[in-house]
Amino acid sequence: MNIEVRGLTKTYGPVTAVSELSFDVPPGAVTGFLGPNGAGKTTTMRMMLGLVTPTAGTALFGGRRYADLPAPSAAVGAVLDSAGFHPAHTAGDHLRVYARMGRYGAARAARVAELTGVSAFAGRLTRALSTGMRQRLNLATALLGDPQALLLDEPGNGLDPEGTAWLRRFLRELAAEGRTVLVSSHVLGEVEHLADHAVVIREGRLVSTGPLRELYGPAAVLVRSPQAERFAAALARDGIRVEHEPPGVLRVHGLDAAEVAAAATAQGIALHEITSERPTLEQAFLHLTGGSR
Amino acid sequence: MTALLSAEWTRLAATRLWLWGLLAALGSGALIGLLALVGPENFNPPLPGLATEQGTRVLLGLLGFTVFAPALLGTVAVAAEYRHRTITTTTLFAPRRWTWLAAKLTVYTGAGLVYGVVASAVAGGALFGAAALKGVTLGLPTWTIVAFLARIALTMAVYTLLGVAMGALLRNQVTALAVVGAYFYLVETTLMLIPGVKLVYPYLPGGATAALTGFTYLADAIADQTGASASELLSAPAGGAVLVGYALVAAVMAVAAPLRRDIA
Repeated sequence: MNIEVRGLTKTYGPVTAVSELSFDVPPGAVTGFLGPNGAGKTTTMRMMLGLVTPTAGTALFGGRRYADLPAPSAAVGAVLDSAGFHPAHTAGDHLRVYARMGRYGAARAARVAELTGVSAFAGRLTRALSTGMRQRLNLATALLGDPQALLLDEPGNGLDPEGTAWLRRFLRELAAEGRTVLVSSHVLGEVEHLADHAVVIREGRLVSTGPLRELYGPAAVLVRSPQAERFAAALARDGIRVEHEPPGVLRVHGLDAAEVAAAATAQGIALHEITSERPTLEQAFLHLTGGSR
Repeated sequence: MTALLSAEWTRLAATRLWLWGLLAALGSGALIGLLALVGPENFNPPLPGLATEQGTRVLLGLLGFTVFAPALLGTVAVAAEYRHRTITTTTLFAPRRWTWLAAKLTVYTGAGLVYGVVASAVAGGALFGAAALKGVTLGLPTWTIVAFLARIALTMAVYTLLGVAMGALLRNQVTALAVVGAYFYLVETTLMLIPGVKLVYPYLPGGATAALTGFTYLADAIADQTGASASELLSAPAGGAVLVGYALVAAVMAVAAPLRRDIA
């Protein structure tokens, strides 16, 4: 199921939370929905699901708005931070209520509880659940209808490292089954090994969209040399950007390792180390969303 | 809709609210029994005894005062969706928001009727039991008493509907309880002081309640105070219809305004 977001806009009085946001989320892949806190990720997801009425624009799931889907919870599952539980219900009660509401049956409720690890605490009152357990219960509820698309708003919040690794595997499996998975996050480490695509927003506007790999931008090369100063001067004469790191180390931009080695040989400069340096997603992200850099 | 009804029922049955409701119903019925056992003639100030029509009416009327209890339970139940933020998930599963409100109104009205039947049955049983223990005959014919009890049970169902609708409209438990309580105990009585309001009293919630339960203390008291003739109350079915009308207006307003608002 393809998700198309077109021109989504939300204004609260004079404040524009989301501005003419358009992007696609393809099936069979995990798409990271990235942006700093307050960028408008949550508002966008709420508009997509009809919880918040957009000032303008639409979000279509396989060509239909969420509220117009014949069985919304069987088409799209959503894990939202703000979704709560009745404190006097057990985790199992919560699943049973919504299994009834969507006509999925008690067997399906038990199945998703097992898939998500909720069965380990199904008899516990929701008021006594940890943040990680609440996330799992929210995920289980979203999966009740075996949906073709899954929207998750900061699902890593409150998960321990083991839980994060589990969630990553789980979401990758769901995407591998051909489902559409959109995961919002402001913690890039979380999506770096999870997402295939990325949609990056800042201050409610689209910054970048495409394969996650392309966010990284060109690699730099780290060079260690006893003649670093001379090498830097030579490269600079050719218009190549060079940053000076701790004594004897240069970061060379715009050349790959082989080109750097060839340039050094041509100048008769000895190299003690030459390393391709892929920027972290964090750096790429700061570069994209920082504005000033 | 059957799925939504069954989900609401599951939701209600999974909390202890139904137990509290049952205890309140049993308790309010038992309270009438206790008062019958003490006997209105021993009240302070003394009232006519069980064997008189007035004494029996007093006890039935006291049960009529407890119609608020199921309404409050209905308000608490629907406002809990907002308080505990299950509203997000509920709306995701039923994006057309009026559908789940309709399901709640239906399920809780049914629960309110059960509450009313339990409270009335216990009160009725206790009333007859107390009379038998004391060796007196109640001051009203049996079928009249049963009819009064049935009307009270029905009023409780209608009030629960009203309570759910007010909860959906006001969304905040405390606000909803304060508004409903203040209206019945303060606002309506005060309004009656304005000349002319008396004419519309039968159509106000209190007047319609009096018509439905068959107890007319307020109307009678006003007639006593003003020396004017008591307002002519509506028939019981018409009074019930007016109350259902208020509940539906509240429900429609809830669907039109709060339910359309963004869910944060």
